[in-house]
Amino acid sequence: MIGIADVVIGLSLGSRLFLIAVGLSLIFGVLGVLNFAHGGFYMLGAYVTLAVISNVIDNFWIAAVVGALAVGVVGAAIEFSAIRRLYDRVDSDLDQLIVTFGFVLVIHETVRFIWGSGSYSIDPPDVFNFSVSLGGSTFNAYRLVAIGLAVAVLVGLWLFITRTYFGSLVRGTSSDREMAAMLGVDVPRLYTGVFFLGSVLAGLGGALSAPLQATSPALGDQVIITAFIVVVIGGFGSISGAFVGAMLIGMMQSLGPQFISSGSIAIPFLAMVIVLLLRPEGLFGGIGE
Amino acid sequence: METGDGDTGNKHNRNGDIERSSVIQSSVGRRRFLQAVGASTAVGVAGCSGGGGDSGPITLGAAYILSGFASLYGEEAERGIEFAKSRINENGGIDGRDVEVLVRDTEASGDTAIQQIRSLVQEDNVDGLFGLDSSGVAQAVAPQISQLQMPFMITHAATPFVTSPQGEHEDSVGNEYVFRDSNSLAQDIYGAARVAEELDATEWATIGPDYAFGYETWDYFQAYCDGLGVEAEFTAEQFPALATGDYTPYISSILDADPDAVLTPLWGADLTTFIGQAESAGWFDQIDHTLFSVGMGTDLPSDGSPIPEGEYASTRYDPFVPDTETNNSFREAYYEEYGTLPTYNAEGAYRALYLYKEAIESAGGTDPSALVDEFTGMEHSGPVGDYQFSETNQATVASIWGTVTYDDEWESNVLDPVNRYEAGPDVLSEALGDSDLPAGI
Repeated sequence: MIGIADVVIGLSLGSRLFLIAVGLSLIFGVLGVLNFAHGGFYMLGAYVTLAVISNVIDNFWIAAVVGALAVGVVGAAIEFSAIRRLYDRVDSDLDQLIVTFGFVLVIHETVRFIWGSGSYSIDPPDVFNFSVSLGGSTFNAYRLVAIGLAVAVLVGLWLFITRTYFGSLVRGTSSDREMAAMLGVDVPRLYTGVFFLGSVLAGLGGALSAPLQATSPALGDQVIITAFIVVVIGGFGSISGAFVGAMLIGMMQSLGPQFISSGSIAIPFLAMVIVLLLRPEGLFGGIGE
Repeated sequence: METGDGDTGNKHNRNGDIERSSVIQSSVGRRRFLQAVGASTAVGVAGCSGGGGDSGPITLGAAYILSGFASLYGEEAERGIEFAKSRINENGGIDGRDVEVLVRDTEASGDTAIQQIRSLVQEDNVDGLFGLDSSGVAQAVAPQISQLQMPFMITHAATPFVTSPQGEHEDSVGNEYVFRDSNSLAQDIYGAARVAEELDATEWATIGPDYAFGYETWDYFQAYCDGLGVEAEFTAEQFPALATGDYTPYISSILDADPDAVLTPLWGADLTTFIGQAESAGWFDQIDHTLFSVGMGTDLPSDGSPIPEGEYASTRYDPFVPDTETNNSFREAYYEEYGTLPTYNAEGAYRALYLYKEAIESAGGTDPSALVDEFTGMEHSGPVGDYQFSETNQATVASIWGTVTYDDEWESNVLDPVNRYEAGPDVLSEALGDSDLPAGI
């Protein structure tokens, strides 16, 4: 029987997926880069948050912001130092894939070197660390916070892209890079900015998810494939598509075990196949959607 | 190997290769000389493969999970190895020779384990092998051991199919070279069914890892309940993938089914993660009994979420039972050395070294086939108690289940009260009743 807790759990899983998928989608929509290292950024966000809490300040929210910004800096540095050099190459897609995959391995091994290969967990912030019982089922109140923050990011990002000057530059550049450059847009700087923003969102996803799951070096590998599915379902480059796709997949992950005892991990793939067959461009499309 | 014929051969080979690449165009005479060196080296390597000779230290090779979600098991095994090694070497070694152990990381992967074990045999020329933490890995490794013709003492991996002779069941991969000194899943889960007999619980569920071990645990439990006449219905099952970071959807599904009791073979960091998330979801308030079949391997040294008191857990070795001089002195000395009670993975690895000591001393050397002969049917005694290797090379150790209780003196969870269920070949075969599952003993 499907209870309220199953829905809350599904939406919280979806919120986590949204934060990683929206950055992935944004970077692809503007830069055209399929960033395999995005899962690594998500994992790094969780680790930096844990490290700040254990070693610097025992405040989850500050640690989460530090974690997200630190990942943003790492992402921007990678774009600036490596990916930027590939944009003008012929067949640069393949080079970008290989380079970003290389960074998956670098991030993974760096994390293993610093924190080891075991797993860590932290409690949700005290004020939200209590059980909520609704309709006979129980869930942690922090899940509601995670959902609320994902909605806030969705709204904030939508306003940022559609209502700000920087947002209009992003939309313009994603439509026609050459034209934007001719009109005086500093495209390389804008690209680094977008990569920074996408990386911050991935790091924030990792940070906010740390109290809901075990943090281990495998975290990024597990989530990146699902995030790609979300982006395919939602439509590459679409913010609202990433949100709807993430919530759909989150609900599938939550409700799947109710119907099948093993292999529920395959359900999102099935959903992706159906979307690709019926609507190859995804449910939504384009920056600002 | 540090010394001995094998080492000399390897070094010659390496030097030869390096020199050959730098001088290859300069002189035919030198090239012929190097070819001769290469040929003699090949003879040297071939001559020493499969054994380390009869002087210098005895070298054993071990393969455990040293990284990833279950690295804790490998770390515990390494402690057991170090402890046994120092004790043996301080007391005259094995037939007067020191023992050395090369420990490799299987990364919980069958392919990696096979590569590491092949390397231990073919490059390091070890005299014997032991280890393995995962059923899936053991299942992949066992046929390779037969090809390598080197004895392998499994000390943790529990699948019954590696001590079930090939042909007995479609999954059986047991052969004359593979032994196990710890208890198998078939022995362990027999104890779970005996616990179930005593509990006021009829509706049972499971949550286990999505590979052979998770499914085998549930299959054997149902077969034993049937064979022992336990009044049980099996109402829900969940098999999340290994290293699932968030178990809440699976937990929620089991809670919705509302069983009286759950048997879980989750292990390693997965178990710690599961327990924390199950507690948050109110699992231990709603479900009357949870049986943790691999719990005590992780729980004793755990600084994460330990198993709540009052639940049931099994162990392959208990630091307090049997109450013998051997076990008590082992526990005390180990605690003094490491500050924690010995886990079963430490004890299993510790005992493997003593098994090799006894076999090598009795055989008068390290010839692999002689060691296999020694292990076959061997009677042995260690901290775990007295046991014998069965016809299928499985140790006839007891199935140990008890109630999880926090002990202030040892600052650790222990099993108290604890039951030892004799789990020899006849007992298991009878309890499996009409099932086609092999007893693996």
